Amino acid sequence: MMLRWLALCTFCAAPLHADVTEAVDQYILPGYAAFADATKALDAAATADCTAATVIPSYQAAFDAWLGVSVLRFGPAEIDGRSLAIQFWPDPKSLGPKAQNALLRAQDKAALDPTAFAQVSVAARGLMSLERLLYPSDPLPAGDYPCALIRATASDLARLAFLIHAEWQTDFAAALKTAGSPDNSRYTTQAEARQALYTALITGFEFVGDDRVGRPLGTFDKPRPERAEAHASGRSLRNVNLSLAALQHLAKALVPIAPATDAAFGRAFEVAGNVQDPAFADVATPQGWLRAQILQQAIWAARDATIAEVGAALQVGVGFNAADGD
Amino acid sequence: MTTRRGFIASLLAASALPSLSWADAGSPAYLAAAKLVDGTFALYGITTKGETAFAIPLPARGHAATAHPTRPEAVAFARRPGIYAIILNCANGAVMTRLAPPDGIQFNGHGAFSQDGHVLYTSEVIATTSEGRIGLWDATDGYSRIGSWASGGIGPHDLKRLPGSDALVVANGGIQTDPQDRTKLNIATMRPNLAYLNASGTITDLVELPPEYRQNSIRHLAIATDSTVAFAMQWEGDDAEPAPLLGLHKQGNVPQMCGVPESEMFVMQGYAGSIAFDPTGQEVAITSSHGGAVQIYGRDGTFLAGILRADASGIAPATTGFLLTDGFGAVSTIVDHSLTTITQGSTLWDNHLVALT
Repeated sequence: MMLRWLALCTFCAAPLHADVTEAVDQYILPGYAAFADATKALDAAATADCTAATVIPSYQAAFDAWLGVSVLRFGPAEIDGRSLAIQFWPDPKSLGPKAQNALLRAQDKAALDPTAFAQVSVAARGLMSLERLLYPSDPLPAGDYPCALIRATASDLARLAFLIHAEWQTDFAAALKTAGSPDNSRYTTQAEARQALYTALITGFEFVGDDRVGRPLGTFDKPRPERAEAHASGRSLRNVNLSLAALQHLAKALVPIAPATDAAFGRAFEVAGNVQDPAFADVATPQGWLRAQILQQAIWAARDATIAEVGAALQVGVGFNAADGD
Repeated sequence: MTTRRGFIASLLAASALPSLSWADAGSPAYLAAAKLVDGTFALYGITTKGETAFAIPLPARGHAATAHPTRPEAVAFARRPGIYAIILNCANGAVMTRLAPPDGIQFNGHGAFSQDGHVLYTSEVIATTSEGRIGLWDATDGYSRIGSWASGGIGPHDLKRLPGSDALVVANGGIQTDPQDRTKLNIATMRPNLAYLNASGTITDLVELPPEYRQNSIRHLAIATDSTVAFAMQWEGDDAEPAPLLGLHKQGNVPQMCGVPESEMFVMQGYAGSIAFDPTGQEVAITSSHGGAVQIYGRDGTFLAGILRADASGIAPATTGFLLTDGFGAVSTIVDHSLTTITQGSTLWDNHLVALT
């Protein structure tokens, strides 16, 4: 009798609610493994030949892989500001260019030693710093320093990706999956683990909508195409698409059956397909601006559908105080 | 001045009623408002171990509370825009009285008692303009309204009494809000300040932030024993250009804005909700429910540590370090910058944790 009950309950609950273990095994661990592999390949490519044309394909692949996991703003990626060291953006005060130019001017070879470079400002490291070296707006200084800086930056990315993946494998995956067990001090309840993933999901929508689309969008009277993410490497729209895909992947791992959410994601990808300029440069035109704004609205609709369906199925919200001010 | 009514009331109080103390309310060390699992709201008394000393129902979502210095009486404030505050007898759970602001005035979430406990000060705004007022209520006479002062700015939020005096410091947040829906109306032109008022309500000092931080709303305060004021801010400027969220000020000096390393700049999402000194006064912590984080700074303003905790909200000094409440029902200690959850329930803690001193 007891066994039959258990079997029945498992059967009932499974399709609705896949949850934390599935998200860790199907989304998070493969995502970080791919990012670790892609940055290792980038490091190898830069070591072999640091010319921009040779490094760019593996740079683009590494950036793609980062977008697969960049929404996971908790755990090993948040230790010591690692997420920011991987991608310091947005950066309206140009802290990244300033710090990087200081390195280039000083030609400080000692700073490029891996241990020393790990202590360099997060703004001067990561994918955006590498973009400035591979797609420079002004010619890079003569000599071999820029090449050495490309190699150090690529190698630092590979180191960070390896560390994050390793810490997820050895420690953090288990902490999430065993949430609520007596010896788990990090997640004392299963709800807390679901909450962490759900918060990452909703915060991820905000970042795509407010920053990746919202910053170049500006206002109708004052569009800001120069603020588009990674426009030098022509990735702005691609980054929106890939981060939406990552959010969909996470949402589906958590709650596989969510038809309204599926439809809202479908609509967002469709309107993203209508955007003409891969770097959002056309937000300066009325038509281009409207297409980007429709994309932003579709992102908000996908977020709202996710809150309604995925949030309800997980029985979590965004937090009693986090959702509003004082 | 002793009114006839006040005289009789105090005579009655002295002769007829046993004198109650906070021990009669289960010796709570802290007060916090919360949402219960059934969707109702309550004010809780919490012990140093994170356990419940009492829970008294509230009619709607609360915000902060203020404790009478000697009597087991708490003032529970509604969220902004506040149309009520409730005086609770924490020993027996009775609602002693309900304060309603005068017509056209709204409570703004916080209050403080005078040193002798005779006067309650409340932060208030004129509803139509958000011009700040400090309401005065006679705690010796059933909390009758006895006057009001200008707060020295727009949208005052927290206010605290300086140690060993009846001087007040007020966080004038600078934000004008719609009286119905809290919509912010003046972000482009806001000018927050810290206002110091003496015991008769005269503004003795008005401290503004440097021009680049005018969009940094000063909202919450913690006071060290030497009257150093730590203030927590909420950044209304571009969230990609984060500003310091902690400031330190001692009267006679310029305010110190406490920056953080680049790796910590975005963690709080431009929002500091609660603030507290540790019991030694050597460290100060701010929380961000939006960022799910706590940041700890040294007394000299240097950044010391960041701790991630979902919906981190109320913070107060503990026996050592800090006590933290969150919107997911946990009470945790932070000792040596390390967080340990000591109780986990289904009661969702609201923005603030108020230490009884």
